Amino acid sequence: MAGLELLSDQGYRLDGRKATELRKVQARMGVFAQADGSAYIEQGNTKALAVVYGPHEMRGSRSRTLHDRAVINCQYSMATFSTAERKRRPHGDRKSTEMSLHLKQTFEAAVMTQLYPRSQIDIYVKVLQADGGNYSVCVNAATLAVIDAGIPMRDYVCACTVGFVDETPLADLCFAEESGGGSSLALALLPRGGQIALLQMDARLHQDHLEALMEAAMTACKGVSKVLDEVVRQHLQEVSVLTGE
Amino acid sequence: MPTDTKRIRGPEVSQSLSRFICKPETTLPSDGTRADGRNRDQVDVRPVFVRCGLVSQAKGSAYIEAGNTKLICCVYGPKETERKDETDMKCGRLFADMRFAPFSCPERGSWIQGSQEKDLSLMVLESLQPAVCLHKYPRSQIDVNVMVLENNGSALAHAITCASLALADAGIEMYDLVLGCSIRQDGASYLIDPTFLEESGSYWASGENQGSLTVSFLPSLNQISGLQSDGEMGEGTLTAGVRTCIEGCYKLYPVIQQALVKAVRGAAPPPSES
Amino acid sequence: MATVQLSEAEKVYVLHGIRDDLRVDGRSCEDYRHMEIETDVVSNTDGSAKVTLGHTAVLVGIKAEMGKPRPAQPAEGYLEFFVDCSANATPEFEGRGGEELGTELTNTLYRVFNNKRSVDLASLCISPGEHCWLLYVDVLLLQCDGNLYDGISIAIKAALFNTKLPKVLISEGEEGGTEIELSDDPYDSVRLSVDNVPCIVTLCKVGPRHVVDATLQEKACSVASLIMAVTPAGTCTCMRKVGGGSLDPESFFEMTEAGRRVGRALHGPLMALLSQEEALGQKRQKVGFLG
Repeated sequence: MAGLELLSDQGYRLDGRKATELRKVQARMGVFAQADGSAYIEQGNTKALAVVYGPHEMRGSRSRTLHDRAVINCQYSMATFSTAERKRRPHGDRKSTEMSLHLKQTFEAAVMTQLYPRSQIDIYVKVLQADGGNYSVCVNAATLAVIDAGIPMRDYVCACTVGFVDETPLADLCFAEESGGGSSLALALLPRGGQIALLQMDARLHQDHLEALMEAAMTACKGVSKVLDEVVRQHLQEVSVLTGE
Repeated sequence: MPTDTKRIRGPEVSQSLSRFICKPETTLPSDGTRADGRNRDQVDVRPVFVRCGLVSQAKGSAYIEAGNTKLICCVYGPKETERKDETDMKCGRLFADMRFAPFSCPERGSWIQGSQEKDLSLMVLESLQPAVCLHKYPRSQIDVNVMVLENNGSALAHAITCASLALADAGIEMYDLVLGCSIRQDGASYLIDPTFLEESGSYWASGENQGSLTVSFLPSLNQISGLQSDGEMGEGTLTAGVRTCIEGCYKLYPVIQQALVKAVRGAAPPPSES
Repeated sequence: MATVQLSEAEKVYVLHGIRDDLRVDGRSCEDYRHMEIETDVVSNTDGSAKVTLGHTAVLVGIKAEMGKPRPAQPAEGYLEFFVDCSANATPEFEGRGGEELGTELTNTLYRVFNNKRSVDLASLCISPGEHCWLLYVDVLLLQCDGNLYDGISIAIKAALFNTKLPKVLISEGEEGGTEIELSDDPYDSVRLSVDNVPCIVTLCKVGPRHVVDATLQEKACSVASLIMAVTPAGTCTCMRKVGGGSLDPESFFEMTEAGRRVGRALHGPLMALLSQEEALGQKRQKVGFLG
């Protein structure tokens, strides 16, 4: 590995974490009043906002209407100041279009769309600060926002990016680790049933290592799901105190 | 717009020749007279030439010439709205589009509408909107296209005047004509209807109250329909400037009225006695 | 929600309230809504601020880059504005839907800062004709609940206040050229002076009166509004009428008077608040969106 040593001999990573350790996750639901559901999440230095509108009538062309379930419409965008080098456009480039598509696929697998035929659910995510694992953080934020909007889901969707360095799987990569070479894998999981909503890997990895990597990713996702569950419970408690129930 | 991608183009960054020409005088002469013989601090608008109905294909059109500023405006409509989902059942929609011809300024411009032109288009639209009886044209749209042929200052103000004249020529029902006038504030004194050179004499020059102001005005209803200023000006200067602009508009009013009456006479000659 | 639909009865209710100087949310005509300001919320910018005004939420990030000065002003740096109307605010802004409003807001911001004194551009110059600081002021609209202009301008002022530019050392290079060295110490930085940065005050003409900080409901009742950028000294760096209606000259003069008064009154508490937050230094607990 040229340049940075991503995993020290003592088994510590660049930011002092152990190989399987997640970054600190802080989240809040109901950030905005106008949207039907919203959430904000900080996973280490990666910060993302998610907003959900719907389910509502189809907007724009009616030809996209599905008669047996709801259409999920996603837009992924990054604030122009979110990356180290300023981005010229917040969305519309190839990368974010691809991300939008991935998010759409993920949530089509998780949201119980058959309950809302002929309608549309909008999920908009915005990365405010990018420090690795953008896709996973956005999925986690969007999960919270969908829950905040009160839209039924099969389960939490939890996502995590896992890398493979020195024969060791590293959980929840930060930007330096992501760009430092090595293969990485993004997994979105419905933790209770252990079903995979989306799996993406676009680098070379020996087949023998795949299982270990998947295992690590699943563990990490389950870890994330615990944190998210706690956030949801806390939020509900706060809300029920406020409404006096 | 099709572009020739095969040809070797010039360097990516280039500078206009005009930057290297020694400019005779960048600061505005501070004594009473201006380059074209008008006086400072006087409501001394440039003489205008206006003519309606030059473009036979358009529903209405107008041409205005003030000094060397030359503009042409065409009005199309009322017609069915192009974007069906935005059809308003009660009220028509007005669209304005203002462009500078590439050869209109000292430096060649682009055919593609820049953000400055979009800004000016919006200003033209907002100035005209209060004057047009849009409720008389439900479910339809009216397009106003302004092309600046030569820009020698105060293009926005004259564009507004020209557009309202073209609307009237198109037979669109209006409450009143809209007249535009602009001033360039230079310290304690002002220059009404500035030329390009006076306009671009930079605000960055030292001193207070450097700025410019454009007002559009409905003369018989006594209403301000549009206003835009930039540069830094005190409140007193600003209100005085607005008053001056209104005065300038009143000076233009008879000329525009005459042009309109002439156009109407030309279009429908009075029935002959026989 | 960029706009709302109101029924005639609702409009009459709002109008009558404003006539009696009592607005729907209990404010009087020249009162602002509750405002929250936090600076330094995005750590990979050089300056950032988040402002919420009622439900309107704006995030501004400033990134400084080293660039070449404009040929017309070789001894000055410059500012670039960009307003992103994100789909977070309303589904209408999805795709290219927010571009129209974004361009309008961006153009107005350029006008507001188109004068010598708003920002000391000469201080952004590193070496005349060769290097200068180029500040990218990126505005992100997260939620619209009326009065975008005021919220954005306050957020920009706060973000400029928060901006820290690294110190630059210019030395003679080996081959006669100049070498530019950035200071490594993050605390060794230069601040910008924001004493003359204007704040925008939007006055909405509703019926016979005018209100500041209009909500969406009030905006729906108003025919025209006046945007004024007011500096702490009381001068006006940009003014424009927006909306489809027209204004009587007399009421226009009243509105400029009120705008100036409100604008001047806004700067004092804002600056006090910003320096108070600054004084907390490292001990300050960052809330961001988690609060």
